[in-house]
Amino acid sequence: MKRDPLEGLLGHTGRDPGCEAAFEHFHRYCDAALRGEDVEQEFPEFVNHLRNCPGCREDAEGLLAALREIESD
Amino acid sequence: MPERGREEVDDLCHQAASDAAMAILRKLPEFRGESRFTTWACKFALFEISTRLRRHAWRHRRIELDEQVWDRLADSAPPALTRLEHTETLQSLQRAIRDDLTDRQRLIFQAAVLDEVPIDVLAERLDSTRGAIYKILHDSRARLRRAVERSEGKEGRV
Repeated sequence: MKRDPLEGLLGHTGRDPGCEAAFEHFHRYCDAALRGEDVEQEFPEFVNHLRNCPGCREDAEGLLAALREIESD
Repeated sequence: MPERGREEVDDLCHQAASDAAMAILRKLPEFRGESRFTTWACKFALFEISTRLRRHAWRHRRIELDEQVWDRLADSAPPALTRLEHTETLQSLQRAIRDDLTDRQRLIFQAAVLDEVPIDVLAERLDSTRGAIYKILHDSRARLRRAVERSEGKEGRV
């Protein structure tokens, strides 16, 4: 598939709910990801937001890492 | 990390933990069991800590419109820019940033995308919220994409 050259600067074109709406889904997304579910299928707009927003992406990765650490204790 | 810096970060984390605990207590009636309680509660702690740490890391750096940003980026381009290999597209984009965005959109797009300033930091400096800054960034990106596509369409490249 041809890569969109503008994607890195202008983001993905799919629907993006924004940071505040995404915040409401963080916990559900992280639990689903930890259960190994198909999060792209289950949370397409949230995943699109993570692609576009470095802050939320970093937070999601941080939350997942923290939860994995808690689970391993 | 120097001792003083470590104390500052420790202090930030303690403040964040305290604010997160308050947020959890305030939001508790809204917990609907859609996830494990630990996951839901950790979300607030993580957001408080990450926001404070980002703001702390950027506290001595200025954020301003910089007309030379493209020249500076030639040497230290963020990954997003290095992937944009098409010179004509890049020129269309530069034109669109100059002509199609408002001053505030230009400042936020340049800071967030080209200078990689975290959105929480921009929200603090511009006396706004993360959600409002992201909305401006999102609208700016959509406007730039339309302008670039229009420009390339005129040149028969689409």
